[in-house]
Amino acid sequence: MEGLTEMTNWAVDLIDVRKTYGRTVEALRGVNIQVGRGEIFGLLGPNGAGKSTLVKIMMTVVRPTHALGTLLGRPLGHRGKLERTGYLPENHRFPHYLTGAQVLDYYGALGKVPRTRRRAKAKELLDRVWLTQWADTKVDKYSKGMLQRLGIAQALMNDPELIVLDEPTDGLDPVGRRDVRELLIELKNMGATVFLNSHMLSELEMVCDRVAILVQGLVARQGRLAQLTERAIEYRITAAKDLADAHSKLAVLGASVDGRTVRLAGDELGKVNEAIDILRERGIPIESVEPQRFSLEDILVEAMGDGAVAPAPIARPAKG
Amino acid sequence: MQFWAVIVDSFRESLDRKIFWVLIALSCLIALVMLSVGFTGDKISFFFGLWETETEFYSPVTQMGPTRLVGAVVYFFLAALLGWIGIVLIIIATAGMFPEMMRLGAIDVVLSKPISRARLFLYKYISGMVFVAVQGAFFVVLTFLVMGLRWGVWRPGYLLSVPLLVLLFSYIFCVSVYVGVKTRSTVAAILLSIGAWALFAVVHQAPQVFETFPSLKEHAAVYHTIRVISWIPPKTGDFDYLAARAAGVGTSLDVVPMPGTGEGGAMTELDRQQLAAARDVEERQLLKDPVASIGSSLLFEAVVVLMAMWSFVRRDY
Repeated sequence: MEGLTEMTNWAVDLIDVRKTYGRTVEALRGVNIQVGRGEIFGLLGPNGAGKSTLVKIMMTVVRPTHALGTLLGRPLGHRGKLERTGYLPENHRFPHYLTGAQVLDYYGALGKVPRTRRRAKAKELLDRVWLTQWADTKVDKYSKGMLQRLGIAQALMNDPELIVLDEPTDGLDPVGRRDVRELLIELKNMGATVFLNSHMLSELEMVCDRVAILVQGLVARQGRLAQLTERAIEYRITAAKDLADAHSKLAVLGASVDGRTVRLAGDELGKVNEAIDILRERGIPIESVEPQRFSLEDILVEAMGDGAVAPAPIARPAKG
Repeated sequence: MQFWAVIVDSFRESLDRKIFWVLIALSCLIALVMLSVGFTGDKISFFFGLWETETEFYSPVTQMGPTRLVGAVVYFFLAALLGWIGIVLIIIATAGMFPEMMRLGAIDVVLSKPISRARLFLYKYISGMVFVAVQGAFFVVLTFLVMGLRWGVWRPGYLLSVPLLVLLFSYIFCVSVYVGVKTRSTVAAILLSIGAWALFAVVHQAPQVFETFPSLKEHAAVYHTIRVISWIPPKTGDFDYLAARAAGVGTSLDVVPMPGTGEGGAMTELDRQQLAAARDVEERQLLKDPVASIGSSLLFEAVVVLMAMWSFVRRDY
């Protein structure tokens, strides 16, 4: 019972999700992902990693070969819970003969939003995504950015507890992207869970609490963004004068010297201190010592470089 | 709520199509032509009185006149224009419904809503009938009113042509939907459904070829096999007769005066024999059991719809 209770605390709890197309193409090879309620979670990975397939399985668009787990506390594929879920697919298409307001009304009705609520919500959302003036214009007149903003509004019509967005900033200009980021944080503050699939790593870094990296149909890394990026990729020591005197000693530590800067690869504090001692022994003043942290891009590249990826253990990060 | 959303969406889609308005214009044109025809006693006038001639055959004041008038509308406007050209245009207009809905990016949004795939399929299928129902109702009610108000001929049974038109369309639409779901191609759906319609007509009419040429009936096994097979596809060819029967008009031969081949257009004995034989064939069609015709057609439609639905429900998008 304890396990069941814990399971329902996750907004998304995917266990051993597999998808094989035909007999040979394994798009997903046993994915385990957990997303806490109220989190902004980012899914990233190279092209063909299976990200879109995973998102489509969550939204019942693709049928999994095997899947356990829950979405908002109900088994994966439970249609009732889709009433509390919003989804923006990548490269979405809306019926060209509908206006922006009609699009929201149509998808709101399919989402079982009552008529009076639909009208009020559509008006509010069109205003939120700056499309009020275009509400009665057919969507075939919309630019890509406008369609993207309408798509986000569509995903929010039912006041979802879980919002799944596939490349939400695709086609948006920098101002539009910033607004989407603000909207996501606003949704999070309102208690919603956001599941993001995006190639824009810098944007994921700005908004996500946790991320998972999917490589070759498996989760290669998963965890809090801060945890994943806390490791230092290198330490950089900047001295106040030239380091020619200390060059040979520093080289023994494996450091590279460039003018007044010493670079030490890796995360070993002992070596950093040794390098500082060498400089002090020679009376060289130290201006700064800076750890260079892993960026999301570094982590992604590292994960991709792991080659044959083994299934990552089910991560159960502490709540709150 | 979801059902009406799909219906309203399909109606909006219909209004967006040029073919919808072409058919509305065609219906208006036919109604206008009918409106331009007037009767005064045994005289018939055309183009709002520009040309006038005597007629006893169609005059509403004669006993058979009203029936022949309604018959002419049923056979030449309803069956020939709307029942053939109109249906082909409507097939072209609706064939893209499922392939469009199933396009990547479009289907994803719809399937992420709390509606089962089977229900979504059925709602969409039913909404496909909206196009033909609107067109059929517009044409039939308009011509019904013209016949009543202009000619004084009221035939409430003629209004049954609307559901009959929807049925006729649904027999072909099910094939269009099946092909559309399997191939996601509008062009394939159009071509194969029209091809299937032609095939239905051929298969359905095949036993009559045997009956027309008694020498063929000697091949009893072949004849009975063809008779059985002819019951499988929808009876699209029965539409004319079902509509004529509902409107209470006779055979198509009864609504057009037949000129004879004799001197001065007089009927010869041979003419009479040929006319009687042709009428006999049509009368047998008129006497067919509508329940059997519609029932067996709906059975075929149900099987095809279930196959299409199965494919729609089971596939990945």
